[in-house]
Amino acid sequence: MSAVAEVQAPGKVLINSVVKNLTALAARAFAKRWIITFTAPTGVGKTTAIGYMDQSLAFEHLVIPAKQITTRYTMLKAMGLAPGEKWSNHGRNWMRASDLYERVVERVRERPPLLIVDESDRLRMDCLDMLRDLWDDVRLPMLLVGNEILTEKINASHERLSRRIRVRFDHRPLREAELRKCLEFMGYEVADDEFALLWKLVGGSPGFAEALLENANEIAASQGVKRGIEALEGAVKYFPTVRK
Amino acid sequence: MREIVRRAIRARPELTAELLQRGMFGPEEKAELLPLLSKAASLKGGIIGPVRFATLLAEGDAQLAARAVLRKMLGKDELAWLDRLLRFQKPNGKRDELARIVERAMEGRTGNVRSR
Repeated sequence: MSAVAEVQAPGKVLINSVVKNLTALAARAFAKRWIITFTAPTGVGKTTAIGYMDQSLAFEHLVIPAKQITTRYTMLKAMGLAPGEKWSNHGRNWMRASDLYERVVERVRERPPLLIVDESDRLRMDCLDMLRDLWDDVRLPMLLVGNEILTEKINASHERLSRRIRVRFDHRPLREAELRKCLEFMGYEVADDEFALLWKLVGGSPGFAEALLENANEIAASQGVKRGIEALEGAVKYFPTVRK
Repeated sequence: MREIVRRAIRARPELTAELLQRGMFGPEEKAELLPLLSKAASLKGGIIGPVRFATLLAEGDAQLAARAVLRKMLGKDELAWLDRLLRFQKPNGKRDELARIVERAMEGRTGNVRSR
């Protein structure tokens, strides 16, 4: 069950190593009530895999996509209130975070779900502290998914949470053949010279490759031609950080 | 010279032209901006798709991009792409503030954004 409507399962998903590993780790975290972290470079397909898992996992789970605007309160709301539910308590039309926390603890005690936090590298300090509290209080199983920054962040500032993590899975970028297969699955017909340039620039990141290809498509369309290596090279100019 | 005009001049010409076309600048800003823009820039307001527009904003000046979002110059698709493209970048203060503005805009909230 997704806590926020934004996470939608894509219609078709390529079952690659990211999807397989994430699904296996989710099952293990739920069964053993562990905290597991899954880190992989940006654009590898973590969010897509989570969208797929959200639809396919056979056990109780809750997906929270972390954002810059995510706070402890919004996380607790997603965990403690049903979608669309409003809370009023003795004339107050909102709850304190501590009230919500108690409610979440009760819910988890009754039926513990697996908490999956996408982009958890973006979580604020207090949110990570709260997750540790939830694990201490009710052993809430969780799968924290993010990029390399997640490990650095937890190790640097959350020693107590760090000690409670049972499995740290670091996924490598996709290999050349996997990237090609993924792009084909996404519907891109990529010529060999285009693929060579993409691989050189973005490595095993289909998300980043898609951004470059879409830019190239628009450039080619504005010139009334089919996408080719020239359009792709033109698109690269829009990404100064990639060129470096 | 106004700060926003200075930023618009420093930006890529196709982005400035697109923002001009979309009406992001007020009359006084336009009066300052137009004489300073190169002829090429003012003529470049051709076809620019949602991905390219979002890319130009993501890779360009964060304050210019923030203003474009807050003044509702972007459609849903463009906002979604901008949000996605910002995630590819390394986190820093300016990028995080822009990401926050974009996320709020995607939820239909605009206005002043304070993170602290």
